[in-house]
Amino acid sequence: MENRIPLRKLTLLALFTALSLAIYAAESAIPPLIPLPGIKLGLANIITLILLRHGPAKDAFFVLVARILLSALLFGQVLSLLYSFIGGCLSFCIMYISNRLLYKKFPFLTGALGGLFHNLGQLLTAFVITSSAGVFAYTPYLVISGILTGLFTGLCACFASRYLLPHISHFS
Amino acid sequence: MTKKRNYKITAAFIIIALCLALTGSLLAIFYADSDHGTYIADIYQDGVLLQSIPLSEGTSPYRFTVTGEGGCTNEIEVRDGAIAVISADCPDKLCVHQGFISNTRLPIVCLPNRLVIRLRENSCDAPDALAY
Repeated sequence: MENRIPLRKLTLLALFTALSLAIYAAESAIPPLIPLPGIKLGLANIITLILLRHGPAKDAFFVLVARILLSALLFGQVLSLLYSFIGGCLSFCIMYISNRLLYKKFPFLTGALGGLFHNLGQLLTAFVITSSAGVFAYTPYLVISGILTGLFTGLCACFASRYLLPHISHFS
Repeated sequence: MTKKRNYKITAAFIIIALCLALTGSLLAIFYADSDHGTYIADIYQDGVLLQSIPLSEGTSPYRFTVTGEGGCTNEIEVRDGAIAVISADCPDKLCVHQGFISNTRLPIVCLPNRLVIRLRENSCDAPDALAY
């Protein structure tokens, strides 16, 4: 039993998962401004960004996967699980790389890249599911919305971590 | 020092790449085909072309229902050069909210029912060549 998770860390990660689920639920209550599939704020990404910046990447990934599974269980259908899982994994990979390359500076850039690649991943999934190239007409819209919403969530993560971190300084 | 310079260069590259992606997308949207001529609506489900409907001016509105695998349904209305999904049994109803489309700019996509409605130019009355 060498690699037991410390209780404090487990509690914090569970808390972050609950937090991102709550954000996800609150966001899905907002009616969509633009009636296109795939365009939304993606506020739950704030939690992933904070964890990626201030904790080990493994923890951030666990929280992301737990959030995606739980949100599909609570709010969505099976199909939306596939979309958010592929989009989430792609955006996590690119955010991990950019976070490393930028030495944890400029979180809004990491957020913008994450938003962009999340939407591109969803677009690819949509292409595979509908198997029609017509969905690629959405690419410009999804690119713009991904970058803009990603910038916004990145800034949110920046401000949130400024107020959150002093309270969880024992984390990591 | 080198570490510091490195991350600033990376940041500059990311900013440039994002700006290029943004301007490219904006250009793609604005230079996409605008309304002219008449169109043909192609209705695809699971990537298979189900129907091609010529959208001409002055057609009286009519509706029909497309039923896909697993019994999912989308009710489609055709009227005066435009086409829309009027009602559907998908959970998010984004295809219904999109309303009538009358240009090739954006297809109607219903992801849960894997339905795509795309317009294409009716090649019969499109100009053969463009002179500038």
